[in-house]
Amino acid sequence: MSDNDQPRTATDGGTADAEASAEVTEELPAPGVGETEDHEEHALPSLGSVKRWFVTTNHKDVGILYIVTSLFFLVFGGTLALLMRIQLWQPRAAAGGPLDALAYNQAVSAHGLIMVFWFISPFAFGLANYLVPLQIGAKDLSFPRLNAVSYWLYLFSGLLFGISFFQGGTFAGGWTMYAPLNVPKYMPTAIGSTMAVLALALFVASVTVSSVNFLTTMYRMRAEGLKMRKLPVFSSSILLTVWMMLFAFAALLAALLILTSDHVLGTQYFLSPEGGSLLWTHLFWFFGHPEVYIVFFPALGVMAEVFQTFTGRRLVGRKWFIASMVLVALQSFIVWMHHMFLTAINLEVKTLFMATTIGISLPFDLMVFSLIYTMIKGRIRFTTPFLFSFGALVLFIIGGITGVFLGAVVLDYEMRGTYWVVAHFHYVMVGGATALFGGLYYWYPKMTGKMYDQLLGKVHFVMYFVGFNLLYFPMFVVWETPRRVFNYNPAFTPWHQAATIGGFLLGASFLVMFYNLFVSLRTGEDVGDNPWAYATSAEWAVSSPPPLENFPGIPSYRGGTLSFLDDVVPASEVETDGGQEAIEADGGEVVEPDGVYATHDHGHDSHASIWPFGISLGMFLTFLGIAGLRPPDSTDLVAPGAADPVLVGVGGVGLVVLGVSLFAMAREPFYTSEAPIAERWPYAHVEKVKLGVWMFLGSDVILFGAFIGSYVFMRFNAGWVEGWHVFIENPIPGLMNTYLLLTSSFSVVLAMVAARKRNTPGVIASLLTTFMLGVGFLINKYIEWSHLFHEGHTPSAGIEESTFFLTTGLHALHVISGLVILLYLAWRAWGGAYLGEDEPIEYFGLYWHFVDIVWLFLFPLFYIL
Amino acid sequence: MIGYASLLSVPLQQLVPRGTRVTVFQNIFWVFLVLGTLVGIVVIGYMFWNAYRYRDGNGKDYDDGDLPQLGEIPKDGGKGRKLFLSFGLSAIIVISLIVWTYGTLLFVEGQDTGQPSSDVGVENKDPVVVDTTGYRFNWSFEYENGKETNGRLVVPEGRVVQLRVTSDDVFHNLGIPKYRVKTDAIPGETTRSWFVAEDPGRYRIICYELCGQGHSGMIAYIHVVPQEEYEQFINNESSLSEISASDDESGRLAAAR
Ligand code: HEM
Ligand SMILES: [Cu+2]
Ligand SMILES: [Cu+2]
Repeated sequence: MSDNDQPRTATDGGTADAEASAEVTEELPAPGVGETEDHEEHALPSLGSVKRWFVTTNHKDVGILYIVTSLFFLVFGGTLALLMRIQLWQPRAAAGGPLDALAYNQAVSAHGLIMVFWFISPFAFGLANYLVPLQIGAKDLSFPRLNAVSYWLYLFSGLLFGISFFQGGTFAGGWTMYAPLNVPKYMPTAIGSTMAVLALALFVASVTVSSVNFLTTMYRMRAEGLKMRKLPVFSSSILLTVWMMLFAFAALLAALLILTSDHVLGTQYFLSPEGGSLLWTHLFWFFGHPEVYIVFFPALGVMAEVFQTFTGRRLVGRKWFIASMVLVALQSFIVWMHHMFLTAINLEVKTLFMATTIGISLPFDLMVFSLIYTMIKGRIRFTTPFLFSFGALVLFIIGGITGVFLGAVVLDYEMRGTYWVVAHFHYVMVGGATALFGGLYYWYPKMTGKMYDQLLGKVHFVMYFVGFNLLYFPMFVVWETPRRVFNYNPAFTPWHQAATIGGFLLGASFLVMFYNLFVSLRTGEDVGDNPWAYATSAEWAVSSPPPLENFPGIPSYRGGTLSFLDDVVPASEVETDGGQEAIEADGGEVVEPDGVYATHDHGHDSHASIWPFGISLGMFLTFLGIAGLRPPDSTDLVAPGAADPVLVGVGGVGLVVLGVSLFAMAREPFYTSEAPIAERWPYAHVEKVKLGVWMFLGSDVILFGAFIGSYVFMRFNAGWVEGWHVFIENPIPGLMNTYLLLTSSFSVVLAMVAARKRNTPGVIASLLTTFMLGVGFLINKYIEWSHLFHEGHTPSAGIEESTFFLTTGLHALHVISGLVILLYLAWRAWGGAYLGEDEPIEYFGLYWHFVDIVWLFLFPLFYIL
Repeated sequence: MIGYASLLSVPLQQLVPRGTRVTVFQNIFWVFLVLGTLVGIVVIGYMFWNAYRYRDGNGKDYDDGDLPQLGEIPKDGGKGRKLFLSFGLSAIIVISLIVWTYGTLLFVEGQDTGQPSSDVGVENKDPVVVDTTGYRFNWSFEYENGKETNGRLVVPEGRVVQLRVTSDDVFHNLGIPKYRVKTDAIPGETTRSWFVAEDPGRYRIICYELCGQGHSGMIAYIHVVPQEEYEQFINNESSLSEISASDDESGRLAAAR
């Protein structure tokens, strides 16, 4: 950290002199050479040790874990795809071919689920984990341990899915999991399919944690001067992706929890003839359409970065490009019914959703043109990353045009359920994956410090591109083949054989990639900070791979370009610079750190913890146990098969592991610091944990919203009054519980007041009062429920009972989690914590008030109406 | 339906494809295919051309003194007038295509109940209504007089057939590719659809929604027969085997049922 004590004052708006790109690198502060020395102090084992990968919380390590794991799932899902392609070599009757009918259905379903959930998104998030902090100028994510939790949950959810194959077979109802085929009554692979559903739920947990983490990070940890709309495009695309994930996956979680409950508690949602099937399609596609963009946005971001670098031009119409993404992200939540044009929805609704669907396709036109025009007057170098991005754009254009066909409802009527759809979404999704592979080639030198063999990279591309089109283009030609069927019209055989050959070529191309990237780890040429001319974003301004804490100082864009402020610049000196006014006038906000220190006197952020692994292992075992449960009053009609005592025992162990790990992680000293100067608009005055809690509650709102919506939907379909048997005759227990909860909200506030007054007994007393009130709520509920059970109102008695028990049960689970946290808070308070600093209690209060408010909705809905 | 139709001005009326579902589909599909291919070739061709023209080392240097710098705050590259022009063009193409098909959608939606419009082009305006139920793994059909068949749908030639489709167990989807008709079969719901049975013969009815192990083989047949034969059949005066189904769909999978 030599010559950059002062921020570089470059002329505004980028230097006007035209330097050759190679020199630009030298202009920038060279990353401190000594930077790597102090790593070992953070209790993080060296890169070579196996232990490191179990304890690391560093975003770059986690990114690499994500990437490697997702590539493993690519191979897994790809193998299933090739099996299917072999089956499709010729039309077959049920018994012919390598796969029997059930196995084929499992392969189709597992392939779709694995590719969409366990490969493509995590692959993108591997890149995002590695790069977003670098691009925005942060040391790490806001909550590094939670980031590790996300990764381990992801890995374990995939394992759980893998195990489901050996529990009588995995889920076989397609990746869309339509109801009621998705309930045990129709699933010959009962425990395996329950396990697959739970694996997805675990995956959603991972996604939710990581969405909250990314959002908090991107709003609170940007380098000074880097306003939200000035983020590098890849980071912008990730920001929008996580926003969509936060809400869309909450809807999926609702669908999955209800489905799990139908499997293990015997509730009757999806079996119910009063709209159970349609309920699933609504819930699933409310998630499913945004998911399309969740998968595709990171790819767009990569394309934009790679196009800019290798054309040596800035993105044309950058602000419109970003505005288009924002528009798509918003609109993605109002198009879901275009997947339901053939259900009984009426013409008005169809018209509306047809309109929103065209609406959402238009911003993509703009983005495509923007990328194309960026090439004009460029200096295009056909490197491997560029070839992949260019190819991805070609594929996406084809995917987009064929999608317009589906937007015309009259055509969709005929194309639904055919290979037109299969070809279209593979062009779009695997097209997106193509860009992501380009991203891997683009950032590989940054991650490893080595360059791969460009020739082999190009060989990979050619095989990939030819294989891809040979695989998917014939599907447009023989589009009349029904989807998920291996018994097709023999006249189509040659085309399907071409596709199968293409599939194998595509698969083989990855052998080249794996070989190339693997060998280059050792033998690749060393690269400097920036092997690509005209790259602009911050990751290229540090060494390859970047040091543990990324930057040689505090990154800042105050002068218009990136510079690194020295850690020990006193706050006053930093603030006197005139640059700040300009920034504020622009809507940004530069904020002083929480403390007064602008000096960064610690320098010892923690980077290792084993507990994320422990927590995820605990969750994994618990979920294994849940998969083994069956409804107590299960009949063969509802759910064939009995509970599996071994699995349930494993689940018990899991709960213990989970509890111990959670406690240990809460107790563990783990130090993270926020940069003293950072861009934090619009959340400058919301502390990061609080912001995280808010984000989480945002997704929880959708979760409860979906549950309440499901109840209303089912009841509405049955006939609100006449078709619905209101079995709760006595609203008094519910009313009592309303009062209990309201009072408990009040006592949390008292605890905060006591903390501010430094009154330990007051804090403890108020917390314990809250706890007791919560316990009272549960006891009351227990009494109420046992009465109802006695009268025969069990969860499986009917849809009325199912909705009541499951919705209020979800709420009760929230209460129980709250009580556990309360106990912990009280215990800490007893040890003298929280005096004068009431934040933890305040954040708990947010959650607790939220849980109360939910009850204020549930009570009238279930007890009075 | 006359109401809807009169909303569209006269020249537009002639533009909007009407007729049987097969005609309608063919017309629209071809227009989309031709235009789509054209747009695809132009756009992708333009991409390749640019990539070639602006390749590095092509001897030209468009250096305008504002090359991207490492560490700069991301900026807009260029004004984007052209961007909006081409965006506008593509928007016009897409929107006009969809609006154009919307006219047909209104027409198609209008025929699944009541008297079909004369634009459908059948002489006998009386629709044949069939209640169809999907079950794992076949279809059953109930005719207006209460007669039921399983796995075989018998309909008279040259009439509009209106389907009422539901399911006994899981989500299915009934489709007759020959007549370009398709609709969901959802437990607890009834959907409607329609088609015109042209060309006597035997064609496949396929399930288009994954419904379990037997899904791949969930194939039933539709027999299109002359009016008299149809009447004899539903009045139990003849049996399926007597129906002249000689004119089998060419090239269909023999292995299936
Ligand atoms: C990024 C990579 C990929 C993604 C995201 C993806 C996604 C999907 C999805 C979502 C489905 C639908 C599954 C269902 O209907 O339940 C599917 C089906 C299928 N995919 Fe892929 N896929 C990918 C790569 C591949 C590859 C490489 C192949 C061939 C080698 C392939 C071949 C198939 C086949 C044969 C089907 C079954 C189509 C059907 O019968 O409906 N996919 N894929
Ligand atoms: Cu969609
Ligand atoms: Cu089926």
